[in-house]
Amino acid sequence: MNNYQDKRIPIIKIGHYLIVSIQVDMHDKLAIQLQSQILEAIEKTGAKGVLIDISVLEMVDSFIGRMLSGMASMASIMDAAVVIVGMQPAVAITLVELGLEMPGVDTALNMERGMEMLEKRISSFDNE
Amino acid sequence: MEEKLNLSKVKERIEQIEDVLSSVAAGDLETRLAINTEDDLTGIEEAINILIDDLTYELKQSKNMQTELQEKLNKIQEQQKTIVQQQEDLMELSSPVTKVWDNILILPVIGTLDSQRTQVMMENLLQKIVDTGCTMAILDITGVPTVDTQVANHLLKTTTSARLLGADCIISGISPAIAQTIVHLGIDLSAIRTKATLQDAMIYAMKQNKKTKDISIKDTLETYEETEE
Repeated sequence: MNNYQDKRIPIIKIGHYLIVSIQVDMHDKLAIQLQSQILEAIEKTGAKGVLIDISVLEMVDSFIGRMLSGMASMASIMDAAVVIVGMQPAVAITLVELGLEMPGVDTALNMERGMEMLEKRISSFDNE
Repeated sequence: MEEKLNLSKVKERIEQIEDVLSSVAAGDLETRLAINTEDDLTGIEEAINILIDDLTYELKQSKNMQTELQEKLNKIQEQQKTIVQQQEDLMELSSPVTKVWDNILILPVIGTLDSQRTQVMMENLLQKIVDTGCTMAILDITGVPTVDTQVANHLLKTTTSARLLGADCIISGISPAIAQTIVHLGIDLSAIRTKATLQDAMIYAMKQNKKTKDISIKDTLETYEETEE
């Protein structure tokens, strides 16, 4: 059980954003843990945007996919935009075949573009 | 001049016939009955010899035919191999993805779309998006003769997976006939950005490009000025 505690996924705060880089294979327990971890971090830091980098993930099952899209809607309720970056082609095809098209979730090719996206999103909010 | 049949001699000759027949049955087609005398048995012996001759001829012919058939089979198998090879080549060739402009990829689709081909096409497109880092992809279906529910479904899947990667997918080349069939079939393509011609799609993509570029340039300028101050 302690293993799960050891294998925490780090959440890094840079400016107004949180950066979550998933470097290990996700299993269901870790995913649930990550979800609450990120939401807690949003509350604590008041971050306006979250970047989740999944470029290393080679396999995303329906549970993880649902968790990711769930996390995006939860974060948006807490007034933070979530951008999922670096999804691999095989993962995208799998998700679409599973019928998990993740409506409402923003995606970007890489970290840089994801950051640009968040900046645009937040500046448009500021203008409102 | 007919000789009197002598019982022991007849027995001997029948044994000889038996011997020849059994050796023929064993596969030796060269043996023939030796006919020395002319009597009641000679007719049978001659008939047996003719029979063996015929058998030899037929066997030879069937053997020839067999080799001929084998040759033909080999030829057909070779042709089959070539066809499979060419099909694979065609599959690879039929979905070329090219970068035509800064940040813009084009995938011209020509010919009928089936699920296997769409699969290859989708994989190629997504891989290219990741490799080049382009965020605009134009799927040109001018060369697709018909669009049915299955093809529309494939197109939807391709655009959705491109979106999951973080790229926009535009479908161009919707001819009037295709537009009619799509609406008659009740296919909802509202989730996809569609353009009538490749030109329209290019213009849209470049405008979109300029928009994002302007913003990022403005942002960097602002931050630069801030640091200057």
